Amino acid sequence: MAKLTSEQLKILADNMLRMANALGDYRYENIDQLSKAENDTIKALHEQTLNSVTELYTKSTVLSIDDVQENLERITIITAKTQKLYKSFTTVQNVIDRATSVLKIAAAVISLDTEKITESIKNLLT
Amino acid sequence: MVSASKGFLGIVLLSWVVYGCVDLKHVSEFSETSIEAISSYELLPNTFEQVCIQDCEQKHIRDYNVYKTACDCALNKKADSITGLMYTASLEYLTGLLEISNSDLTRYQTDNLTSTLSTGDFGPLQLKEEDVKAYSKVSKLILKVFTDGYRRKKLKEYITEGYEPLQVILHFLKRNINANLSGKLNVQKSSIQAFYFDFVRDKSLSDYERTKFAEDYFNRISEIEMNQKELQLFSEVIDDIAQGHKDLYSNLENLQDEKIKGKLARLRYRLKHAIALFSS
Repeated sequence: MAKLTSEQLKILADNMLRMANALGDYRYENIDQLSKAENDTIKALHEQTLNSVTELYTKSTVLSIDDVQENLERITIITAKTQKLYKSFTTVQNVIDRATSVLKIAAAVISLDTEKITESIKNLLT
Repeated sequence: MVSASKGFLGIVLLSWVVYGCVDLKHVSEFSETSIEAISSYELLPNTFEQVCIQDCEQKHIRDYNVYKTACDCALNKKADSITGLMYTASLEYLTGLLEISNSDLTRYQTDNLTSTLSTGDFGPLQLKEEDVKAYSKVSKLILKVFTDGYRRKKLKEYITEGYEPLQVILHFLKRNINANLSGKLNVQKSSIQAFYFDFVRDKSLSDYERTKFAEDYFNRISEIEMNQKELQLFSEVIDDIAQGHKDLYSNLENLQDEKIKGKLARLRYRLKHAIALFSS
């Protein structure tokens, strides 16, 4: 099974942090339109994603694994897309679905399971 | 008889010019300043484990919990061990460089590096093979360099053989501090913002309480950003040391040139400035 390198984990962490911050910004900018339940859900997703990101930075420091260049390039594209998407979403459900998908990628990366990473990225792209 | 004496004197003078007049003061001064500057690692305001504990405590605060508050930061402790190893290896190499370039050669101790390699908490995690080779190469260099008396020749060998592994180690040391550790602090800032956002907007609280929350938020962000500046300063120190060593490597055949002396002097000036900032 192909593995991620330490350098790639760091880049993934940077991208995941941008995605998490985009979700946080969505909540701050739309707080008046969100119900309490929606706000709580997005807030929890945001926190969980941030927890995953900090773990990725640690893993980047302690782990060194083989290259998965293709996934890296794809997730960079996804990051750029995600940042734009949060600004264009019209329903809260879309935001929540997307944020959940992002969190799944984070979980897959933490488990260093490249098959899960590929699968979760595919889900996000479809 | 007179001409024989003159010939002998000539040989002595020539020997002195060739072997004795090896002015490596600029190299030893650069090494000395580099050692002092890289030692600021020990003054850095954060470690991986410490940030992990802070994040864990923040989570308990967010959950209004003071019961069963143990934090699992074992992975972060390993990150500190690995980064510490890179620091120690670099420090040891620079100390070796100082010893060789300094005319007052003293006996060199490698106990610290050996101890770090044998006792570091690296758990089941594996360093990349090239990095392990880099540490091992630096360690071997330090050990063998003092068995030879030809200082300048050995200095060239030391710099040549140490060039690549040192650059690799410094690259990873810098990345771990300025990208990964500072990255964790970026996450911490986002998390703190999410925590305070709802309190500051909560109209059921008094204006005083809401402004106090806002004040707390700005104080905490300001403190984290000050720490990040120190991590950034340390990474600039690493860049300057790497550049100085690269300059030495690129000028091995003309170490006496004013050009290389000037380059090292400028880097020393920058390093001294960083040392002063760390001390202030």
